[in-house]
Amino acid sequence: MADTPEWVRLSDQEVVLQARAGREAAYRELIRRYERPIFALLFRMVRDRELAEDLAQETFIKALNAIESYRPEFKFSSWIFKIANNAAIDHLRRRELDTLSLDGSPHAATPEAMQATALQIGARQESPLDAVEAKELGGAIEAAIGRLRPEYRSCILLRHVEGRAYEEIAEILDLPLGTVKTYIHRARNELRQSLAHLREA
Amino acid sequence: MTPVPGPHLTPEDLDAWLAGVLAPAAQEHLAGCPTCRDRAETEREVVSLLAGLPLISPSVGFADRVMARVAVPQPLTARTLEVLRRRVFATRRSLATAASLLVVVAGSMAGSIVWTLGHQDTLAALGQWLTAQAGQAAWLGLRGIASNFIEQPWFAGFKALAASPGRLGFASALALVAYLSGVLALRRLLALPTQRVAHAGA
Repeated sequence: MADTPEWVRLSDQEVVLQARAGREAAYRELIRRYERPIFALLFRMVRDRELAEDLAQETFIKALNAIESYRPEFKFSSWIFKIANNAAIDHLRRRELDTLSLDGSPHAATPEAMQATALQIGARQESPLDAVEAKELGGAIEAAIGRLRPEYRSCILLRHVEGRAYEEIAEILDLPLGTVKTYIHRARNELRQSLAHLREA
Repeated sequence: MTPVPGPHLTPEDLDAWLAGVLAPAAQEHLAGCPTCRDRAETEREVVSLLAGLPLISPSVGFADRVMARVAVPQPLTARTLEVLRRRVFATRRSLATAASLLVVVAGSMAGSIVWTLGHQDTLAALGQWLTAQAGQAAWLGLRGIASNFIEQPWFAGFKALAASPGRLGFASALALVAYLSGVLALRRLLALPTQRVAHAGA
């Protein structure tokens, strides 16, 4: 191969091989290919630019330092999206533990008590920023995505923003294919309902 | 009011409709059912809003910040040189040893170059003598092999066989069959038992 391969012509797997051979340019090419989709996914998962950037950095550092353990029979995109999604879900879980359980207190004795102690992160009060965002349809959909359950959010973003196939999403999220389809339909339903008032207006 | 044919669209039907591959029966229902049409249109609107979300990028210098914390494996030659460099510069003694070795090697190389340049006639004569010796040795070897071959008890039979092209062809075919059978038998004998390797997961 030439000293300076035309990176755009190489598949992800070929770029990974170059990276394994110790070529820094190959690492940079992998970052160039995935920094935007990974960052966009994380930003829409955690809705905080600075945090999304930290998580994106963490994702790339983890993936690139473990490039030797990547198995070329899998898609590189699935591998790196899986690492990113896990980082986002871990963060959201930690944040959830810092506040209250989504399903209410585990010590609640009755369903009513459970309901009373439940904290719906999805149904949080809209901040002034959210309210401004919601004025426009684009902002409204971003806000509506933010109100989805994290697992619905991952599915809908991977499917309709990143354009990944159902099978790849199932692989990324380690979920059965049927579950992925159900989550996507439910997420679309919720988004439809969230946007209904704007549509009527 | 005209009855709408078929059941309402399922989520799978909506997916198929979004992908433009809805079954004709479902299409017929969709055409006559305002509820399903409205739902499908809203669904399409949501999907197109999602697809049209702006592409967002991390801040400038993201790649550099990542690369600052990534350990790029060095190629083998670079790694070897690095190990060598570390060993040479480890102590004064190792440095002195390496320097002496370098002087000896570089000195011998320079000496040999100087001697070669000054004794080109001698080198040419030596080259000719070596070539003649090698040729003679090769000829002697060939003669030795030929006489050894001729003295074998089966040589007369071989000579008779070689005299008749038909018999020679038959013998060659027989030898070829024997050779191929031997190769096949060896392959079967040396084949490893097949093993299924469990998939270790991603």
